[in-house]
Amino acid sequence: MNELANFRTGRLPYYLLITGVLFLLAGSYAGLFVAPPEQYMGQVQRIMYVHVPTAWNWMLGVIFALVSAIVFLINGNYKWDARLEGALEVSTLFAFLLCCQGSIWAKPTWGVWWDWDPRLTSVAVLLFAFLGIVALRNFVDDPARRAVWSAVATIIASVDLPIVYYSVKWWNSLHQQQSSPATVSNQYYFPLRVNAFGMLFLLSAFIMLRSRVASMRLRDELAGPETI
Amino acid sequence: MSGTIVGGWSYVIAAYTLTAVVLFSYGVSLFARLRKGSR
Repeated sequence: MNELANFRTGRLPYYLLITGVLFLLAGSYAGLFVAPPEQYMGQVQRIMYVHVPTAWNWMLGVIFALVSAIVFLINGNYKWDARLEGALEVSTLFAFLLCCQGSIWAKPTWGVWWDWDPRLTSVAVLLFAFLGIVALRNFVDDPARRAVWSAVATIIASVDLPIVYYSVKWWNSLHQQQSSPATVSNQYYFPLRVNAFGMLFLLSAFIMLRSRVASMRLRDELAGPETI
Repeated sequence: MSGTIVGGWSYVIAAYTLTAVVLFSYGVSLFARLRKGSR
């Protein structure tokens, strides 16, 4: 309880939020107005500067949720349950954003808004799995059961993450393979990297702030009626 | 027929606008919940 009561991250999330917004503004400006259009995809390729950083950071969010779930099951510290709640909700948001951005990119390049391709399908599976766990946390009132059930469900759902990552290599996917510094020229790499850091700062700030909201609720629930 | 997608700015604007609106709205909802929780 004392650990939960002391669970504060100070002003750090606010600094991260401001830095993230500044990075995203700079990276998006470079991606929209400085970087040249791609040879075959033309202007549409500019979606990459926001789509790929969202994808990278969504994966980091899922990994953080998985780590939080495992640590909570090991030590039973509710600080990690609050972190799990934050990571679950923010990862779900990023997965939703990722699917929407990908869909907008797919229409002019593939001719369809959606395809049941291995990459898209595995991302959608994880999105709905996390959505289910977020819903589960809202339905269960007992904090101990809620924490254990959602931690176990997160570990099971996260098995899908390596499938998402390797789907483009394992199967003949319509989705292109992962971009890396070796596959992207310098003109495209700068806005991609700046936006990736911007998204990372934003993701971190959102998880910290959402964990703070979760810790407030947990503190009230765990304190019980005797403190009233 | 050059094999290059012509136009496409509307899709780019849609993707960036959607991203900005979703992230901004979530940020606002977080601050609202933080204020509500700290009362």
